[in-house]
Amino acid sequence: VKSFEELQRELEEIVQRLERGDVPVDEAVRLWREGEALYRECARRLEATELQVEELSAGNDISGTSL
Amino acid sequence: VKVEPVLYGDRKVYPVGAFNRGLAWYVRRLPEVWVEGEVTELRRSEAWATVFFTLKDPATGATLPATMQRRRFDRLGLSLAEGECVHAFGRAEVYEAKGELGFRVTTLERVGLGGYLAALERLKQLLASEGLFAEERKRRLPRFPRAVGVLTGADAAARGDILTALAARFPATRVVVHTTRVQGRGATESIVRGLAALTEHPLVDVVIVTRGGGSFEDLLPFSDEAVVRAIAACRVPVVTAVGHEQDMPLCDLAADARASTPTAAARLVVPDLEELRAGLRRARERMGATVRLRLSRDRERLERQRQRLGAAPARLVERRRAALDRAGARLQALAPHATLRRGYAIVRMEGRALRATTGVGVGAELDVELAEGSLAATVTEVRS
Repeated sequence: VKSFEELQRELEEIVQRLERGDVPVDEAVRLWREGEALYRECARRLEATELQVEELSAGNDISGTSL
Repeated sequence: VKVEPVLYGDRKVYPVGAFNRGLAWYVRRLPEVWVEGEVTELRRSEAWATVFFTLKDPATGATLPATMQRRRFDRLGLSLAEGECVHAFGRAEVYEAKGELGFRVTTLERVGLGGYLAALERLKQLLASEGLFAEERKRRLPRFPRAVGVLTGADAAARGDILTALAARFPATRVVVHTTRVQGRGATESIVRGLAALTEHPLVDVVIVTRGGGSFEDLLPFSDEAVVRAIAACRVPVVTAVGHEQDMPLCDLAADARASTPTAAARLVVPDLEELRAGLRRARERMGATVRLRLSRDRERLERQRQRLGAAPARLVERRRAALDRAGARLQALAPHATLRRGYAIVRMEGRALRATTGVGVGAELDVELAEGSLAATVTEVRS
């Protein structure tokens, strides 16, 4: 599974390639479709509304803490 | 202990060894006490089992020779310097071979902030000389960590602050929390273990080490050599948010970034959701705009090409006809002259070219055109 950062970078690369304007039109349309899919995936990943918290310490490490 | 005197008549005489032994035995019964003094003449060698130093009373100049088991001394890790004030716990002891009185120390504590500060400064210089705090060692924080490791004390404040800040800024964050002892006995080991546990987690890309404010002593574990070294050696970048703004524990210097508050630490390790969304929207708009522009340009070019294609045949015929006309004109103009140059002449009477003598009488006026110039002639004879 690609990280958000990778997806975002791919999207940016597509935008830049399109902006350079030297790709054939078929390729441009294909890139645009790919870019749209990347955008939707990125946006979807930002939708989470709650922190995912995982506790590592089994508790033995903090017993007797003075805090 | 039995110390037997030798009797010389009615005089009881003790040999030196026996006297010293007796004295030692007597002194050993004195209780263990705390003695305060400055450490001077500290002599420590790996080759010796004992560390020697002198405790000096700064007010009176009184001195007391002291010894301590090297293993114990080393375990305290005080890195004492000359003149530092300590509390030494121990009891008086006589060195039997020499009858010398000394103080046998079982534990030592540095007294006063001055001592701690001096020790911290020395540790700081040592670690700095090893390059642990060098700017070029600092790693860039990941822009979008897969998971954020949080090493925190069990106090609700620091832990709560950091989680709230992460949730506010970037709710999609995955957080791995390790709660640890952050002060008092065992805090150092606990922090080092916690850091190791967090960095072993396969998704943790950055670690925040956080602890709320506390007294100077409370924050000492965060200046501990083992903790500082563990932070410097950490597999992933570390952000520290320890104590308050004015505190500067050594861990801050070894960390890749330092935050003054848990909220600031959260800002450093996760991107801002709103900014990220805006960035994505901009990328999408740029992409759409370029593609639309590209397509509309292509369409316009196609249209121009179609028009040129339609106009082409008519223009071609026109161009050919014009060329033909020009050629014809040139032909007409040039043909008679070429003939004249070969010696022929055009003879005209009253503007018409003559082909036969018919109609030409003696005395008729003729016009003779040559390749160059022309003649006016009069007919003197007609031969048919």
